[in-house]
Amino acid sequence: MISLRLFLSEVTAALRTLLGDPNARMTMIAGILIYSVLYPQPFVGEVVRDVPIVAIDQDNSAASRSFLRRIDASDQVEIVSAMPNMDAARDAFFRREAYGIVIIPAGFEKDILAQVPAPIAAFGDGSYLLVYSNIMEAVTTVARAVGAEVNFERLTATGMDDVQARASLSPVSVTNIKVFNPQGGYASYVVPASFVLILQQTLMMGIGLLHAGRRMPTGLRMWATPVAYIGLYVVWVAFTQLLLPLFYGIPRTGDFSTLLLVALPFICACTAMGFAIALLIPWREGVVFFLVVMGLPLFFLSGIAWPIESIPQHLHILSLLVPSSSAISAFVAVNQMGASPQDIAGTVQLQIILAIGYTALAVAIYQLSSPPRQQAGK
Amino acid sequence: MTARASLFGFRHILGRELRQIAARPALAFMLAPMPLIIFIALAAVFAPGLPRDLPVAVVDLDGSTLSRQVVRMVDGASDVAVARQVPSLAQARQALVAHEVYAILMIPPQMERNLQLGQSPEIVIFSNNQFLAAGGTAARSMLTTALTFSAGVSLRLLESNGVGPDRAAELITPIPVQQSPLFNPSLDYIQFLLSAIIPTVMQIFICAAAVLSFSRERHSAGGIARLMHLSKTPAQAILGKLLPYTVLGTLVLLLGDVLLFIFFGADFRGNVAVFFLNGLLFILACQMLGACVAMIARDTTGALGMMAVIVAPAFGFAGVSFPRFGMSDFAQAWGSIIPLTPYLQLRTDQTLRGAPLEYSLPAMLWLFALLVAFTALLWAMIYRASRRAPQTVGVNT
Repeated sequence: MISLRLFLSEVTAALRTLLGDPNARMTMIAGILIYSVLYPQPFVGEVVRDVPIVAIDQDNSAASRSFLRRIDASDQVEIVSAMPNMDAARDAFFRREAYGIVIIPAGFEKDILAQVPAPIAAFGDGSYLLVYSNIMEAVTTVARAVGAEVNFERLTATGMDDVQARASLSPVSVTNIKVFNPQGGYASYVVPASFVLILQQTLMMGIGLLHAGRRMPTGLRMWATPVAYIGLYVVWVAFTQLLLPLFYGIPRTGDFSTLLLVALPFICACTAMGFAIALLIPWREGVVFFLVVMGLPLFFLSGIAWPIESIPQHLHILSLLVPSSSAISAFVAVNQMGASPQDIAGTVQLQIILAIGYTALAVAIYQLSSPPRQQAGK
Repeated sequence: MTARASLFGFRHILGRELRQIAARPALAFMLAPMPLIIFIALAAVFAPGLPRDLPVAVVDLDGSTLSRQVVRMVDGASDVAVARQVPSLAQARQALVAHEVYAILMIPPQMERNLQLGQSPEIVIFSNNQFLAAGGTAARSMLTTALTFSAGVSLRLLESNGVGPDRAAELITPIPVQQSPLFNPSLDYIQFLLSAIIPTVMQIFICAAAVLSFSRERHSAGGIARLMHLSKTPAQAILGKLLPYTVLGTLVLLLGDVLLFIFFGADFRGNVAVFFLNGLLFILACQMLGACVAMIARDTTGALGMMAVIVAPAFGFAGVSFPRFGMSDFAQAWGSIIPLTPYLQLRTDQTLRGAPLEYSLPAMLWLFALLVAFTALLWAMIYRASRRAPQTVGVNT
C-alpha cells in the first residue's frame, strides 16, 4: 500500500518533469492540440462536389443540350462554361479553371434517332485521381441513364411490352452499397488513421526530448516514468479517437473498451520504442529530426493510402517493427468499422511482442552503455 | 566595404559551415544518405504503380452455371482477386471488418432461374469505403464486371426476342463514353503520388538542415555576434551558411528525380531548365523558411518542433490527394504560404501535364515571392539580432 502510494507519487513526479520541460510540453501536449486543429483543415470539406468541367457541344441539338444539363445537375461535377473547340478547353484546363472536358460530337441527336450508337467523349485530369473518378462517374451515369431511356422507347415502339423491354435491357440490376464511411468522406478516411501516427510520433519525440543524451531514471522512477507517459497517452487516445470524430463529424461506431485492447499495448510499444531510440540516438535534435522525417513514409506503409497487399512483402514485414504499421488499421477497424476483439487479435499480439521486444532492447542498450558512465561518476 | 572583403566574409562562413558538417557524422548522414534510403523505400512501396488483385469475397447464393460465370469474370479482372468464397453474408462481412477483403459481391439465390423468368435479380456489391482508395477500386472493378455480365445476358435475351445480333449489340450501349485521362493515361500512382511524395520528404530535410544550421548560431551564447563578426554582413552570413545545403539538397532532389523519370520512366513533358530552376527556387525557399523558424524559436528542439507543425501536414495542404479547390479559404491560404504547394503545381505542369510555359509562370512567380519574403524576414531578424548584441565578444573560431 505504501509502495503503491510511493509509486504513484513517482508517476506524478515524472509527469511534473514532463510539464516542466518546455519542449516536451510543446510536443506531448500543445503539439497534439495544434495538430488537432490544423491537420484536418484540408479535408474538412469531406467530399469533392461540383468539380468544374467544360463542355464542347458540337451537335448543339435538343438531345445534346438536355444531356449536358443532366451532367451539370449531378452532384459530382459542374459545367462551368461551354467551349467552342478543344484548344479553348485545353486552355481552361491548363489554367486549372476546369478539370474535365465533355465532348458531344456532331451527329449525336441524328445517331440517336437513327438508332445507332451515339458516342461521346470525356477527358479527365489524370493527375488527380479523386477528381478523375468523380468526372467519369458523373458522365457514365448520365450516359447509361439516357441510353436506357432511349432504348426503352425503341423497344416499346416495336411492340414489346414494358416489362419485357425493361427485363431484356437490364436483366440484372447491380447495386453498390458502401459500408463504413458511406458518404466517402476524405476526412473520415485519413483523419482517424493519421492521429494514430501523430500519437506515436509525438510520444517517441517527447521521450527523446526528455531522455536522449540524459541520465536514465533509476529505481522506482525507472518504472514510474513509462507508466506516466502511458497514462497521459491513454487520455490522448480518448481525445483523438472519441472527441475529434465528434468535433469533425466523422462516423464512429466502435466500442472504447475494445479500442483500449489495442491502444494500450500500442502505447506501451511506442513508449518502449521511444526509450530505445532515445538510447540509440543520444542527440535530442537528432531524435526529433528522425521522427519528423519518418512520419510521411510510415503513413504510406500503414495500408490506408496504399493497400498493404501491394507493398513488397519484405518491406511490409520490416515495417511491422514500427507499432503504427499494424496499429493504424486496427484502430480504424475498431473505431470506424466496429470490429470485435477477435478481429484485431493478431495486431494486439504483435503490439505486445513489440512492447516486450523494445523494452528488452532498451534495457540491453542501457546495460551495455552504463558501466563507463558509472565509472565516470566515481 | 570592397567586393573582395565581401567575398572574404562569405568564404569564411562557408568553410566554417563545411567543417561543422564534417565534424558531425550523424548530421551528414541525415543530409544525404537518409533521404535517399527513404526515396528507395517509398519507390519500392509504389513500384507496382497500380493496386492489383485486391482481395474480395464472393457470396454465391445461387450456385448455378451463370453465377459461377460471374465469379470467374470477377476473378479475371486485374484490379481484384477472389480471395474468399463464403456461404453467408455474415461471414463475408466478418472478413471485411477484419481487413481481409475490401469488398463483397453477393449473387442472389435463384439468380439463373429468375433471369429465365424475366424477373430482374439484384447483384449487390458491398465495398469498404473506410479504405476509400482500395475499397473504391475494388467496387468499381466489380461493378464494371457485373454490368458486363448483365450486358451479355441482355444480348442473348434481345436475340431470343427476335432482334438481330448486330442490332442487339448496338442496343446494349446506345451512348458509349470514350473515357480518357488527359495525362497519366494508365492512372499510375508513381506519376501522381510518388512524384509528389519525394519533394514533400525533401522539404522536411531541407528545412530541418537550415533549422539546425541557424540554431547553432542563434541558440548559443553570443552566436549571432560571432557570426556577424566573421561574415561582416547578414547577406554573407546567410549565403555562406546555406550554400552547402543548397548544393546537397539540389543533388539529392536530382537523384530522386533520376529514380523517378529514368528508372521508373515517369512522364516528363516539360522544359528541363524551368523544371530545374523551379527545384532551385523551392530548395532556397525551404531553406529561408527553416532559417526563419530557427531565428524565431526559443531553442533548437523548439525550432524543429515549430518546423514540424509547418512541414509535417504540408502534403495534405498541397492538394495532391484532396484537391485544393475543394478546401476552405483558410486551408487554401495556409497551403499557399508553404513552398511545396506552388512547387508541386509547377512540377505537375512541367512533367505530367506538359503545360506550355506561360501557364506555369504564376506559380513560379508566387514561389519566387515566397522566397523573397522569407529571405527579407531572415535578413531583418539577423540584422536586428546583431544590433541587439553588439560586438561584445571578440571571439575567433
